[in-house]
Amino acid sequence: MNTSRSALVSGLAISVMLTAAPSLYAADETKKPDAPAAKPAQPATKPLKLGGPGIEQERSFPKIVSGKWTGPKTADGQPDVQGHWSNTIANHNNFTDPQGGILNDPNPNRVAKGPREERAPSRVSDPADGQVPFQPWALDKVKDFQAHFHDPVKPEYIEPLARCAPGGIPKSLFWHGYEISQYPGYVLFQFNSGTRIIHLDGKPHLPDNIKLWNGDSRGHWEGNTLVVDVTNQNGKALFGRSGEFISENGHIQERYIFSNDGDRYTYEAVLSDPTVYTRPFTVTVPARKWTAKDQPNGWHFEVEPANYTGKVALKEPILDQYERVCAENNGGFGLVAAEEPKK
Amino acid sequence: MSSPNNGPSSLHIALMLASGLVLLFLATGDAGAANPKIPRLANGKPDFSGIWQTTSAADYDLEPHSNRKDAPPGAGIVEGHYLPYLPAALEQKKKNFAARDTLDPALKGYTLGVPRGIYYPEPFQIFQRKQDLTLVHQFGHSVRTIHTDETDHPKDPYDWWLGDSRAHWEGDTLVVDVKHFNDKTWFDRAGNYHSDALHVVEKWAFIDANTVEYKATVEDPKVFSKPWNLSVILHRHREKDFQLIEDYRFTLDYDDAYPPKPNKP
Repeated sequence: MNTSRSALVSGLAISVMLTAAPSLYAADETKKPDAPAAKPAQPATKPLKLGGPGIEQERSFPKIVSGKWTGPKTADGQPDVQGHWSNTIANHNNFTDPQGGILNDPNPNRVAKGPREERAPSRVSDPADGQVPFQPWALDKVKDFQAHFHDPVKPEYIEPLARCAPGGIPKSLFWHGYEISQYPGYVLFQFNSGTRIIHLDGKPHLPDNIKLWNGDSRGHWEGNTLVVDVTNQNGKALFGRSGEFISENGHIQERYIFSNDGDRYTYEAVLSDPTVYTRPFTVTVPARKWTAKDQPNGWHFEVEPANYTGKVALKEPILDQYERVCAENNGGFGLVAAEEPKK
Repeated sequence: MSSPNNGPSSLHIALMLASGLVLLFLATGDAGAANPKIPRLANGKPDFSGIWQTTSAADYDLEPHSNRKDAPPGAGIVEGHYLPYLPAALEQKKKNFAARDTLDPALKGYTLGVPRGIYYPEPFQIFQRKQDLTLVHQFGHSVRTIHTDETDHPKDPYDWWLGDSRAHWEGDTLVVDVKHFNDKTWFDRAGNYHSDALHVVEKWAFIDANTVEYKATVEDPKVFSKPWNLSVILHRHREKDFQLIEDYRFTLDYDDAYPPKPNKP
């Protein structure tokens, strides 16, 4: 069977294709340097459609507050939040201006973005300026990365995710859709690149010299809120193509606040790291659930109807999501590395 | 006054006790009877949730082998001892063996495939619900879902590193049909290999609450002249605070590039 098909279904390949497409289109249009800028294909203020196929679905989002859980529960008493989830504002192109596109893009999308206040807010919800309170040396590193993202003359300018490293925290929550499943003592996150096992079992954190892409996670439920303490990070995962980061001394306290109708949650995380930041800051990411009512798509909801053979009629179709293996890594870097020809 | 002949003699009692024990033994030894000692889900099916690992040397070589510089000796785990290679495939296996120090996909940290991920000497964790079992392997951190929801293989499949796994229950045995593989994984570090025509049927069954017998029938008409069987025992990790620790070793090659560090003066 054709093995290249399996590489194509991986999330990274899809993200490369989708982000490359507008750039190629723009390149075709730039024949006369003095010609007036192309008219935007659509007014920037046109409402984004929740449930549409794009990665950017809304510009603002409801605040969900911590409180009681009144929805269904799992057999072991957790709020039942199992299923397919994805963020609603944008992908990892830009951390603090999620719908602002890739910084310093040499082939920017010719569709005008509109003024900043019409785009989704920064994922940094505190401090109020929406910027990560970096120490000067760390801000220099971030700017250096942004300047070279499109001109990666050194290995450090290649984002680790492009090498199939796990997305890390918090980026895994706004790269592609992912699946949450629950078991006694555990919440399991399956991302396109990496898996997170959240321990609810009261075990202590790993010894502090063990450093991990996705950190070591201990959680518990407080009503509608999954509270997770994350330590043991290796500091290698970036928060986006805009280069923000935490170091291996960092500490992340996460709150996943679920709405009682089970449709949405708000992710609020406090990131502290005395070696990189001047103060702790808060990251907010809205997410919604995708169900059989939704059309599968390549960003948020990468599923296919299962081949059900049972005799009992089903209320909803069973949806399959196939393996999450970063095939590019196994075959070389990105889509550019040629695999060894078949013998 | 009761006569000894009216009641059961001590011999009779002994015989009755013995036959009772035999009946009890037969009942618990019967494959169809429920084994009360193994963990079960709410729906009564065996619950394989937990962290498992083999103690066998299968990953060095599935076949019997003397010690080598890079491997301890082992009696092998294959029924009939040797893999029934087709002649051309045997030549390829020999080439793989000669170049195993560079070609073994496991050395690169890649996803190990099926069944190698099961008997590779690193732990994996099973998360089980009524509708599926999700296997998270520490090595390569690969994730495999075994579906137990009355679904069959997809009608329009791709090829996958871990194949597509659909299962049903035969008594307390989980029977898993796995196919739609790519040809990029090996069975062991001795170069035993397969094509994308690989088809594996696994049987998972508890021996006791902390021990699982794993059997697999392997079929690949492009590589083998007939199907063959392997078997290993998996043990439950019960050490205090034991957990999986992510192992993305394929990222170690670019460790120097990340994370950003202050410039040296």
